[in-house]
Amino acid sequence: MQLDWTTLVLEILNFLILLWILKRFLYQPVLRAVARRKTLIEQTVADATKQKTDAQTLEQQYRSRLDAWEEEKTHLRERMLGELRAERERQLVELQNALEKEREKNRVLEERRLQDLERKLGDEVNARGAGFVARLLERLATPALENRLIEVAIEDLRGLSDEQRQQIDRAAADADVPLRVITAFPLPEEQRRRIEQALSTATGKAVKPEYAQDDNLLAGLRARIGPWILQANLRDELSFFAEAIRHGHTD
Amino acid sequence: MESNPVAVTELQLGPVTLSGTVITTWGIMLALAAVCYLSTRRLELVPGRWQVVVEGVVTAIEDAVHGVLGEAGGPVLPFVGTLWIFIVCANLAGIVPGVRGPTDDLSLTAGLALLVFFSVHWYGIHAHGWKKYLGHYLRPNPLLLPFHLMSEVSRTVALALRLFGNIFSLEMAAMLVLLVGGLLVPIPVLALHIVEALVQAYIFGMLALIYIASGIQAQQLSLGKE
Repeated sequence: MQLDWTTLVLEILNFLILLWILKRFLYQPVLRAVARRKTLIEQTVADATKQKTDAQTLEQQYRSRLDAWEEEKTHLRERMLGELRAERERQLVELQNALEKEREKNRVLEERRLQDLERKLGDEVNARGAGFVARLLERLATPALENRLIEVAIEDLRGLSDEQRQQIDRAAADADVPLRVITAFPLPEEQRRRIEQALSTATGKAVKPEYAQDDNLLAGLRARIGPWILQANLRDELSFFAEAIRHGHTD
Repeated sequence: MESNPVAVTELQLGPVTLSGTVITTWGIMLALAAVCYLSTRRLELVPGRWQVVVEGVVTAIEDAVHGVLGEAGGPVLPFVGTLWIFIVCANLAGIVPGVRGPTDDLSLTAGLALLVFFSVHWYGIHAHGWKKYLGHYLRPNPLLLPFHLMSEVSRTVALALRLFGNIFSLEMAAMLVLLVGGLLVPIPVLALHIVEALVQAYIFGMLALIYIASGIQAQQLSLGKE
């Protein structure tokens, strides 16, 4: 066991050199690498934790938003259903009213159509009746019937009221054209004289009418003094008859 | 059997005589420098197998140092780590045929013990300043100063002698066992050598770490009491 001072000093120097070498080429790089890896891992863990936290926050937000959407959807659906019910009720009422109006309109139109049909049927019946009567009277129109009608006219002239006589008198006074008497058959002198007498009595003065013949009258006479007309013939009576039937009058 | 094997391999370099211990130490230093350079030349974030081994060694040393000193162990780590690594390599160098382990030379162990001795004071003064550090030798009572000084010297001597004695005696015992047992005992002796090398390196480094820690923390304790 010897203690060599040279060896001792050299070993101390060797150890210090080795200390520098290991510090430079072993401890520092390895510790730096470990620290770098640790930092990276911590950063990765921190990032993962942050992402997890963010994800949880987002999930919470999405859940809250979904809940809000669900609630809003339910609310909107209820409101929409309510509006649909109200709109349905309103449209049903409108439809009911429209149907009622349409039904009333159709009823009126049907009534009108029936009335028109009834009127047409009536007119047709009247026309046929008038035609039948006209054909019958044409066959019955004879001088004898005309004499009878003239007798009736003379009786009517005799039965006029004073007011009617005054009206005829004013018409005869204002008339510019002479009194005109039209018959369907030629008038015998006796009949002319009786007609003139009756007219003179009705007008209160002597009259001398012009005579004419018109087969269209069928039978009877038509006398005109200005605006006043005495109609005592079958043609005019048939016209009166047809007009009265058309207007629902029987007289 | 050579009575002084170190003298056989000594080298005369001018006026300086380089012993076999120094030459072997240089070889160990060269090997360690090469291994460290090659191992840490390209460190990856995802380590390979060899990088895992290297990082495991360094982090094990770091854990041991921090386990004793806490966060204050950062500056101490290179010194204690180098002690461990160098002593392990020096102790194991003895199992290489034709090479004697440098740690069976008292000159080397004494040099390491001296380095530990000075490092205790260096780190203590560095941590608290030389006045406060030296002041703790006067506490709790100045009368205890001689005992403090005796303790410092004796533990340094013990540190040097323990490593030297164990390794030297191991090699002498192995040589005697080999002479007696012949070829039947090399493997158990080699296994014992490896275990002893690791244990002695651990003890030396751990004692150095504890001495340094006591130099730093004794000052902290005495300050805390005041």
